[in-house]
Order: sequence, then structure tokens, then C-alpha cells
Amino acid sequence: MRVDVRALGACNRLAERGAKQAAGALSDLTGTDLAVEVTGASVASGEDLAESFAGRESIGVSVGLRGGLDGEAVLAFDAVTADALLSLLPGGQSMERSAVTEVGNIALGGFLDGWANYLGKAIDMSPPRYFEADGAAVLPDGALAGDGVFLFESRLDATTTDLDFSIYMLPDSGPFRDLIVGKTAPAAAAGGEAAGGTASTAVPYESLSTFSSLAKKGSANAADNIAMMTGLETSVDVSRLRFVPLADVPAEVGTEPHAGTVFELQGEPSGYLAILFEESSAAAVADAMLPMEPDEPLGDMAENALCELGNVMTSGFIDGWANVLGTSITHSPPEFVHDIGASTISPLVAKLSERQDYGFVIDTAIETEGIQARCDVYALPDERELARALDHLSDP
Amino acid sequence: MTRSLSDDGPDDPPERTESDAVADPAAVTGGAASDDPGRIKVGVGELAVTADDAILTTSGLGSCVAVALVDRRAGVRGLLHAMLPAGEGRTTAASRPAKYVDTGIDSLIGGLDDAGADPRRLEARVAGGAEMLDLTDAVGPRNVERVGEVLDAAGVPIVASDVGDAVGRTVRLRSDGRLVVRAADGFERAI
Repeated sequence: MRVDVRALGACNRLAERGAKQAAGALSDLTGTDLAVEVTGASVASGEDLAESFAGRESIGVSVGLRGGLDGEAVLAFDAVTADALLSLLPGGQSMERSAVTEVGNIALGGFLDGWANYLGKAIDMSPPRYFEADGAAVLPDGALAGDGVFLFESRLDATTTDLDFSIYMLPDSGPFRDLIVGKTAPAAAAGGEAAGGTASTAVPYESLSTFSSLAKKGSANAADNIAMMTGLETSVDVSRLRFVPLADVPAEVGTEPHAGTVFELQGEPSGYLAILFEESSAAAVADAMLPMEPDEPLGDMAENALCELGNVMTSGFIDGWANVLGTSITHSPPEFVHDIGASTISPLVAKLSERQDYGFVIDTAIETEGIQARCDVYALPDERELARALDHLSDP
Repeated sequence: MTRSLSDDGPDDPPERTESDAVADPAAVTGGAASDDPGRIKVGVGELAVTADDAILTTSGLGSCVAVALVDRRAGVRGLLHAMLPAGEGRTTAASRPAKYVDTGIDSLIGGLDDAGADPRRLEARVAGGAEMLDLTDAVGPRNVERVGEVLDAAGVPIVASDVGDAVGRTVRLRSDGRLVVRAADGFERAI
């Protein structure tokens, strides 16, 4: 089974349309303007997804599908953010169930209409079923048994109030994957200039799963290296491989000031890696690494410390890839950045966008216990080089 | 209608469009444009045009460049957030013109024209195009240079700019046509 990553891009755009319809419906219902900030496709095993939903309560709706797509689709809100959102509704708690059902139905309807158009086949949708679920129970039937699902996540932001949350769409994996494979040609035509007719962007599905695990391993290595250098206990909070429109990445990093390091990767795949801390976290980590308190929180001493830390984290990250992919990857010296988060990452996105519109983003949140520090690692590999390396991975 | 919905569903079935889902027109006109009449967010590789009092905003400019075009007499304004200098000849420029400076400015002028602006009365304000990193061979300055060339060819004067250096910027285009540029440290100025 091969997945064309450009077809995945087309799927992502369909998911984004669904999310925009959901945002519009929520805006009408709550009187609060909402915009879709980012939509990404996670390629994850059922086990990974179960882990990432562990300890979370979700509410949402599920619909059964017949026709052009068979299976089940689910739209879920985190219960905590859903409460905040629904508190805006007139009618209070009694509205919750019907509002969630309506919003879910609209979002899934938009999502599935896009698919039906794409396929040229009607998709029948059963009436929406409201649910409240603990942990991985939110996932569609069969997601945990198979070797993976695609999870579409859209982050919505209120433009005037401090409210942001995510919605998730989980098309059933089997038929959905068949579609991605079957629709390779039209997706490639729509996917952008980089296809060029010759470069393959189809990769074995199993390799994507492997790479997703690899991303986790790289994150764990990076966290271990922080622990080694700072003596602080660290853990990986979230680590996922996602496929996103590159233009959405800066919005995801956000407009808060960040400090950290960026690296250029050379080899197979090449690309960029950015390690970004919010300012207070950067200062706290640098402080923990330095023998004495620095004169200024993010001055030269802190910069040197963060560069040194970035070096070992990046090595930890890419060593794992190179081992599994059987390729050689090196990284440039660190370049220190300290500015609006989105601005620091925009040149990396621009450079990659010369060749591709969508990219694999490995985003990892590493938390340092005790000092309340957190950093996000964005790995942005060249799509075609990654596809080639993943393809080789499945060679006998 | 491409799918059927049971009668047992909620009262208001969703409005839907039947546009081609792959070539999403939202990418061309700015996805959030219709969401908020008071404040329109312009994402990376997007543009938006308004003929009312809405404030157009775009955030996190690094090497990207923001081009604000205004026809004061017609009260029509537009904002572009372009990522790369040259889209001409690229196939993606057709589906996403606002990703590039040249095709983006062309689209923006076209959109303003459609909204009632006179292209001969337009004036431009430019922000961004920073050289954030040594790693990424001067994409910011190349963006700024391309903006100058394209606006010059279109006969649109640049009346103010805040470009270059190694500093991120967030901008908002007010209804009076001034572009407010804010840096990471919170310092703001209207150009």
C-alpha cells in the first residue's frame, strides 16, 4: 500500500474546508468570530493515537458512511474547550447536546461533501450520534485494531476573545487509505509544481508509520539530551508526525516572542529544524545550564547555552532518523533566533515552499519539570527526499 | 447535492458549495475574509480586499512581505502576505497566486479593481522582508526587491515602507489607509 503525499495534501484541503464550515457555524451559534488557524493530517498508529488521547475527555458526534466512502467519521472537541465554547451559547447546558450535534453535523457534512466531489460519488451519511467519550474511546471503530488511521486536526481561534481549541476528524482508515492510494494521479496534478512528472511522492503506508515512530524516538532522544545537559527532569508531552500546508506553520508557532535555535539539515532528507522556547522557558533553561545567573535573561551567555543545547538536541533528533532510514544526515551550526515565533520560522517555510506546498512537520513538545519550561521542535524535511528515503526503507 | 442527509438530522442542514474541492478558492482570496467583518486576518500566502471599515491584519512577518494597497478616494483597501519573490511560470501560482510577490500583487490589484478601486489611484505601503536568518539566502531582501519591481511596473507608488533588518513584524491596515507595524518588543509605528 502506497500513499501519495500529494493526495494527502488534497485530503487535507478537504478537511480544512470542513473545518471552515464548522467555524462558520460556531461563529453563528456563539456570536464569537472564529477562524481556522491550521489544519493538519496526522499519520499515526492506533496505539499512538490512543496514547495522545489518554486522559482526555471528548465530546462530539459520529456518523456512519455509505456509498463513495464506507466507514465512520467522528468529530470531537476536547471536553474542556467545548465547555468554554458552549458557555457562550444562550440556553446554557441544555443547549450543549444539540449545539454539538449541529456543529458536528455541519463540519462532517462539509468535509464529506468535499470528498464526494473529489470522488464523483455520493456519500450517504447516517444521522449524527452524540457521544461523550473517555480517552481513546473517541476513535472510530476499528482504528485501534488496524495499523493506523489518519487524523485531521484543525485549530480554531477566536479573533476577538482568548479562546482556541481543536476539532478532530477521523475518517475510517481502511477505505480512506484506499482512496488516497487510488486517487494518486488527480491529486498529483492538483498538488503543485514540484511533482514535475518524474519525482515520486508515493510512499509505503507502513513506512509512514515507521517514520512516525521515529519522530517519537527522536523527540525522546532530544529530551534525554536536555536532561543530560541541564540536570533537569524532562519528558516528551506530545510528539506527532503531521502533514500540513506549509503556509499554516507560522500561524501554528504563533505571535508570542520565542527564543531558540534553527538548523539546516543536509543529507537525505535535507530540510530544517527549529527548536523554539517561549521567552520565559528559554531564560529558565539557560539559567539552569549556566554556572551563575546571567546578567540579562536572554543575553550572550544564554544565547551560547541555548545554542549548545540546540546542538545536542538536534543531534539526538536526527541520529535516530539516519539510523532507521540508513542515510547520512548532518546539520549546520546553530543559528540563534529571538523574535516573534511565526517570524523566526517564516524564512524556513519560504525556502521549503520553493519546492513544495505541503510538508511533513514533526512537532514535539518537550517539558522540563520543576522549572516550568517547555519547548517546541519543528522538523521540516524536504518532502521528496523524505519520500525517497521512506521508499528505500521498505526495500527488502 | 452530493450526499444524502437523514430526515432525523438537526434542523438546519449545512449550506454547502459545490466548488472544486482541490483548487480551493479560499486560498486565493484569504480564508478568513468572510468570517469577521470587523477584523480580517490574512494568512501566509493569502490576500484580502475590503471596501468597508474592516481592519486587515497579518501577523508574524519574517522574510515574508506584506503589501498594502489603498485607493483612498474609493475607500477600497487590500493586503497581501507573500512568501516568495517570483511565481510567474510556476503552476502553483495559478491556484495560489498570493504565495508569490509578483502574482500576488497582480491578484491584489485585480481584486481592488473589482471592488471599485481605480488602479491608477493606488498607493502602496510595504512591510516585512526581514533577513531573519543567515541560513536562508536573503529571501527577505529578494522579496522586497521584487515588490519594488512589480509595483514600479504597475505604476503604483510606494509611499512608505518598513522593511529589512532582522526583525519580525505584525501589521494591520487601518480604515484610514495607514499601515501600523508592530515589532516583537511591542513597539508600534504607523506608516
